[in-house]
Amino acid sequence: MHSLIRPNAWVGLKLPSGSTKIIQIVPDTTISLGKYGAFPANLVLGRPYHLTFEVLDKTPEEAFSRLRIVPASELHAEVIAEEDEAEGKTTAADRDANAVLTATEGEEFSLVDEQGNIVARSGREVIDDSAIQKLTHDEIEELKREGNNAGKDVIAKLMLSHTALDQKTTFSLAKYKLLKTKKYIRRFQVVPIDVATFAQWQLEEKDASKIMDMRAEMFGLVGCWGNVHYGGEDSMIDDPHSRTDQGEETCVPIQPDELKGRWLVVDDTCGMLVAAMAERMGVLYPKEEEGEDATVTEQAPAREAKQEVKTDAQTQNGTAQENGDVDMVDVVPETTVPERPKMTTTNKKQKVRPRGSDFAIPFSQTNTLTVIHSTSQPNLSLLNYWNFDVTAPNHPPHPLLNHLLNLTWLQLLKPELDTSYSTEPPTASAEELASWKPSRRGNFHRKRRRFARTRYIVDSTRAGNFSGLVCASSMDPISILKHTLPLLAGGAPVAIYSPSIEPLAALADCFSVPRRTAWTSGNVPETVGKSLEELERWEGNEQFPLNPTLLQGVSIQTSRARRWQVLPMRTHPLMTERGGADGYVFTAWRAKPAEGRVEARGKFKKIQPSSTKKAAKIDGEGTPVETPATGEEEDSATAGKRKRADTLPPLDTEGTPAPENAATGDVASPTKKRKVDGEAKVEEV
Amino acid sequence: MDDTMAPKTRSQTPKISPFLEPGKTTKVGSLAILQLSRDNLQPVYLKAPSGKHDGYAEGAVVNTRYGSFPHSTMIGVPWGSQIRASKVDTGSRGRNNKRKRNKSDDDGKEASATVAEEKTEQESTPAEVNDDSAAVAKKIVADVSGFIHILPPTPEVWTSSLPHRTQVVYTPDYSYVLHRIRARPGSVLIEAGAGSGSFSHASVRAVYNGYPSEGERKGKVYSFEFHEQRFHKMNQELKEHNLNSLVHLTHRDVYNGGFLIDGKSPEAEAIFLDLPAPWEALHHLSRRNPKNPEDKEWVSPLNPKKSAHICTFSPCIEQVTKTVSAMRRLGWVDIDMVEIANRKYHTSRERVGLNLSMDRGVNNSARDVDEALSRLTEIEARFREHAARSKESDDEMDGDEDDGLIKRREKKEQKGGRKRGGEKKVKIDHKPDSPESFEALPSGVPMWMEGRLITRGEPEIKTHTSYLVFATLPIEWTEEDEAAAAAARHPVIGEQKVIGLVDKAARKQERREQLQKATGNRKARRMERAAELAVTAEEEVGVVVP
Repeated sequence: MHSLIRPNAWVGLKLPSGSTKIIQIVPDTTISLGKYGAFPANLVLGRPYHLTFEVLDKTPEEAFSRLRIVPASELHAEVIAEEDEAEGKTTAADRDANAVLTATEGEEFSLVDEQGNIVARSGREVIDDSAIQKLTHDEIEELKREGNNAGKDVIAKLMLSHTALDQKTTFSLAKYKLLKTKKYIRRFQVVPIDVATFAQWQLEEKDASKIMDMRAEMFGLVGCWGNVHYGGEDSMIDDPHSRTDQGEETCVPIQPDELKGRWLVVDDTCGMLVAAMAERMGVLYPKEEEGEDATVTEQAPAREAKQEVKTDAQTQNGTAQENGDVDMVDVVPETTVPERPKMTTTNKKQKVRPRGSDFAIPFSQTNTLTVIHSTSQPNLSLLNYWNFDVTAPNHPPHPLLNHLLNLTWLQLLKPELDTSYSTEPPTASAEELASWKPSRRGNFHRKRRRFARTRYIVDSTRAGNFSGLVCASSMDPISILKHTLPLLAGGAPVAIYSPSIEPLAALADCFSVPRRTAWTSGNVPETVGKSLEELERWEGNEQFPLNPTLLQGVSIQTSRARRWQVLPMRTHPLMTERGGADGYVFTAWRAKPAEGRVEARGKFKKIQPSSTKKAAKIDGEGTPVETPATGEEEDSATAGKRKRADTLPPLDTEGTPAPENAATGDVASPTKKRKVDGEAKVEEV
Repeated sequence: MDDTMAPKTRSQTPKISPFLEPGKTTKVGSLAILQLSRDNLQPVYLKAPSGKHDGYAEGAVVNTRYGSFPHSTMIGVPWGSQIRASKVDTGSRGRNNKRKRNKSDDDGKEASATVAEEKTEQESTPAEVNDDSAAVAKKIVADVSGFIHILPPTPEVWTSSLPHRTQVVYTPDYSYVLHRIRARPGSVLIEAGAGSGSFSHASVRAVYNGYPSEGERKGKVYSFEFHEQRFHKMNQELKEHNLNSLVHLTHRDVYNGGFLIDGKSPEAEAIFLDLPAPWEALHHLSRRNPKNPEDKEWVSPLNPKKSAHICTFSPCIEQVTKTVSAMRRLGWVDIDMVEIANRKYHTSRERVGLNLSMDRGVNNSARDVDEALSRLTEIEARFREHAARSKESDDEMDGDEDDGLIKRREKKEQKGGRKRGGEKKVKIDHKPDSPESFEALPSGVPMWMEGRLITRGEPEIKTHTSYLVFATLPIEWTEEDEAAAAAARHPVIGEQKVIGLVDKAARKQERREQLQKATGNRKARRMERAAELAVTAEEEVGVVVP
């Protein structure tokens, strides 16, 4: 992430109205902010992010507006003055030179002009309906045209010409000022496009449904519970140096032990989730070279030359070569045409670089994201804002090129049906090749490369042992887990986001205690005689859509950040906030069930010997089997609920009040063969 | 292929923390988290089985209410494994403590649970020394019941299993904070008030981008703790977790001492302050000496080339007011205050109905009006039948008395009627808590699919943890910098193209041009595709006819 604004970077412009505009800073263009003015893009290039600029009035000599950096002290001047006033520290003369609206003790509220004279006062009277702005619309327009100290004059004049200003209360006065400031002050702040900023913008100002209403809290939770982090130093696979007349057999074999720090992603958020995870793994932003920002003062051409050199150095490791030589570029539906950012084409004239053999694998074996998608091409269009286009052939260097692997569900589950996986790569001798037309030769290499890459991605994914699964998908999570659970390493976390709770509840129910108990007590005929490996790949039936023993610690949660306004004497939560989808996260860990039958242990009490005998009868092996306990240690939620339910007057008059016994655990019940403590554990196989 | 592509050797790097790369299986000496039940997690440092330990022939043993687990059964297994309890003689340990030990009973007694828990605490203390290593570890026999799962350590499970020292920053808070303060691989983060270390572990995972070799700048956490005991405890933990080269822990009062390390700047770009009075520490986190901006000696702990992002964590609103006020005066911008509300949900099956099993958690009342109606009709019919019979046998009965009898009978009916009624119908002979209960009910629906799937919140919600104040401090940008940038970079020329918010006419013109271009593109693409098809056709022919 760069700290200075670079040419062609995507940035966010925060406007006084509170909205953000996402634009690309193209050098030598004019950036228009609508009513807040326009300025040449070159005036912000090379400046740091997070600064606030003010669009100055045009001078008679120049045809454009210049910018002024607004110091933070000026941004906060009003509040600071107000605070000081409250503490009685300062007088009006100390205040900022700008007209400051502030409260004076005992004098109600006043508008102060540049000399510190009070020009308007507020009272506590409620403004009546006749309170109006004296300036007409035309007059205001005229004022705006005149050039007016970046809108500050308009605001001051508006304030002064409001007939009822002296009747406004503190709060309404402050509000009025704020309202007018938002409307007229010509300021903006430049913020870098990182995941947090961009997601916020996409959620609040663009199209929330595109990222499945995922809020910042959810990105945080999913990332943390998915344990997504930097997965280790890159480890590339050696080029097999296979000749063009060699086929499949010279492909690099997968080395399962080298595969580390890999995460599985199912993303229906147009790449937002992938971007967030890539940011956490350190593969979203290009590496910053030491002293890169020191080139600020260099002449532009020199800087570009340097960039080019760097580019070459990076591409030499053969990683970026035609990664995107995806054959379907043309077919990709351009759903996002209007606002789809175009790739920066700074690296157009790349030199011919030494290229690895067709079967060289450009992917790292560590620190990777594997995206499984349901369409033939992944929809990762939002990654374009970070200058990555998954469909672009001849992609300029980008860290995602070596760390983002994508495959379709078909390739994962039935690779033999996938053409690019199952079709043998074409072979040709060097002489043959030489005799071909360049386009045909290109095609030939492209096919071979695609084959090797598809082979590698599919085989390495099917080798499993992923460090975690992160998912935000509109598909049924049960079906996703059915096929991805076997791919996860033991103890690997699963974090699934869903805008609504129902799909996650249905998923959690697949791992419910009664279901697990039933599964492990051997009452599912289909599981009998199956090995653990077979059960890991359990294809599911109606009663057990998933193997309920494959996940531990199943939990569903949601988070919401409530924003507050913090101002002296006016601190309170914001009155309105975005509604819509709440967003829930399902979390669990992949478990490796033990071989054979494992009984749970709880605090059992044998009550009636006869029932024990009965239990012994049930177990074919002749050893008395502990009755499966009713629950994994449930937290007090369910326990509490139970107790409440249990203390209800028993409806059954003939039987003993069994539920009460079970809850309190001190009365023997003849109808129960043993009581089970509420905190007993589930029995498992 | 050139050098950069060759796999790099990782031999000189220190042992990677199990938090960052746990490996595939558990190892001796590594931290593991034992999951006893869903929310009951317990950290354990796995010890090699080296003879008798603490009176156990099996070596180190973890005793839980779910059985005894010798460490040797937990070493070298894949993470996430289910571990069976083992038969451990907990009764005849050669120690002269007078606790009642009756754990050898495999069904266990009430008392044993508490004893086990106490022992567990003892066992999990990593400092404990194994003194008698002479004897060979006893052969371990699996117990008939009891198990746990063994999980790799992550900041999340660590936070849940933490030995509490102070208020803990929990996952809902720290996940949001790290996202907002842009803690990413390679960032340098300052944390003040290390506390229990939950945030330290989460933040080191966020900034980790490899262990630094000599003089190399990598993602790092600079942590400060004022409380001496907590400092020592935390230092020890970091060593045990192999995080000490990634987290630099300092014992200091940051209000007075500031954030420099040996007088040098850590060059941080992300800051998290979990202090009682963050405003007293804030002045250290400036670009220049706030009291004397001309002071050249003063060293800023911030990275001069990056915007700094801060978050302070305070439970009270007064603290927030003071912090925000201090931030405004020190030039922080984008000040934003939020609080996080996290809720957990439990899913369960809501089972309501008259014909359901007498299991616990079942609400044995009518499922719907129809069910209630049929029940009432049935009772009513039976009652009438009964009344008719009694009238026959006892003709001279007085009407009033009869009424009273009816009422009494009705009551009785209501009590016992359901059971009887159930027998008359297809009432299931359903024994709760018996293995049969797992079989399908007569309705064909198994017990675990019966009823409506519901979610409900946890019984107690954490409604307030702390207020989070976020702010950003931009790079210092002097007039000289500005002048240099204005002169050297992209001078303003006569710009033609307008981007951003343009007026209607310009937008229309642009759209027209775009459409023009698009149709042009489409034509060109069509041509291209046709050409490509021709090529592939040619190739296919070549394949078929060699």
